[in-house]
Amino acid sequence: MIGTNFGIYRPNSSNSNAANSVGSVAPEERAAVQQLSDFMLQLEDYVPTVPDAVTACYLNSAGFESNDPRIVRLISVATQKFISDVANDALQQCKTRSNSQSNTPGTHTPGQKPAKDRKYTLTMDDLAPALADYGITVRKAQYFP
Amino acid sequence: MDKADSTQSSNPRRKILSLAVSQILMEKGFDTVDKECLETLTEMLQSLLVEVGQSARSFCELSGRTIPVIGDVIVALVNMGISLQGIEAFAKRDGRQIIPMPSQASQQKQLNLLQAGTKSSHPPHVPNYLPALPDPHAYVRTPTHKQPVTEYEAIREKAANQKRDVEKALTKFLSKTSETHSLFDNEDNMFPLIACKPAFPPYLAALNPTDQVFDFEELEYHYLVANRTEDVTSKDDNDENESGNEDEGDGEMKAETKSEKDVKPENDIKPNSTTNKAILENPNIDNPYLRAATLPKRAKPDPTLLVAAATASSTSSGTGN
Repeated sequence: MIGTNFGIYRPNSSNSNAANSVGSVAPEERAAVQQLSDFMLQLEDYVPTVPDAVTACYLNSAGFESNDPRIVRLISVATQKFISDVANDALQQCKTRSNSQSNTPGTHTPGQKPAKDRKYTLTMDDLAPALADYGITVRKAQYFP
Repeated sequence: MDKADSTQSSNPRRKILSLAVSQILMEKGFDTVDKECLETLTEMLQSLLVEVGQSARSFCELSGRTIPVIGDVIVALVNMGISLQGIEAFAKRDGRQIIPMPSQASQQKQLNLLQAGTKSSHPPHVPNYLPALPDPHAYVRTPTHKQPVTEYEAIREKAANQKRDVEKALTKFLSKTSETHSLFDNEDNMFPLIACKPAFPPYLAALNPTDQVFDFEELEYHYLVANRTEDVTSKDDNDENESGNEDEGDGEMKAETKSEKDVKPENDIKPNSTTNKAILENPNIDNPYLRAATLPKRAKPDPTLLVAAATASSTSSGTGN
């Protein structure tokens, strides 16, 4: 049941249509759905990075309450994945920026370390364009110091 | 990643989110992070959790359910533009660390300071969520007085006891401060009796008219002086001559005995002039008993004055009672 419609009830009349549509969708999309339902089963005995209780507390603050630990774990993993994607973009931004800086003449000094064992620091200069790709504008509040 | 950055916030849940963000950044290859970046990402993670929860609940309620299903969450995530591609790989990535659940902070047990009595449970009209009642002594009325005895016999007996005690104390005092007679003819004087002062004639005190007394304190002071006269003169067998003192201290004595004159105008008796003189000599000492003893002058006895003095003493004792 999870594999077909993730527990969402669909009336019989549209079920045949849905079946038809499922039959008509591309095979790669069906594979993705199948993969997701497999993943949901694996979440049963998965321990997320953030404890379930912490995630559940923030969900409860939004009025969301679920007895199914898989749902909580799915949300936890999905949100962390989003942060991870952002961090990945920021890292790429950081790398290109530092490379362009080191490549500009004048700034490069002979004693500077090679790029491969350079320490990367996440700054707002890198984070802001990475977030802008996701449609998020980072700006300091007017009254913030 | 600096741990100090993540431990800045006081909220333990936010601290855990901050730890998770730090861990993700470390996995990605960052070595350090600005504090504001970490805070921004932590805030984003927290907002995202809440937003996903809110959106999923909305989708759930839109379908007429109260318990959300996985489909609601997936629809919410897709609706927010969060891709689920590669989520399995992310969940099973290498080097993943698990933040242990922080230990439950034990509730500080409130110290029970001097519990008095047993706390009573709520009356039926008080809801359970209200705090418990305080110790009973804080609101229960406790009478601290005793019901006085109203029984006649007891009161009468008490009054009699009190009267007898007062009399006994007074007799003891008088026997020590004034002339005493001894029951037995020896010197140890174990059972002293108050000396009887015979008055002549005995009925004179009752016949003497007296004015109404207005100022008792002045009168008592006068009696003190008068009693002192008796004490001092008793040694000399009441043979003190007042006329010997009259010529030297008449003016002062007039002022001193004015109150006595008010009481007994016709007698015009002057109390012991020696005491009065002592009072005048030591004006700062008010109590005549505290003064140095002054012996009166020897003189011929004056029978009329003697009788008057005896009358005065008996009158004073009569009014004093």
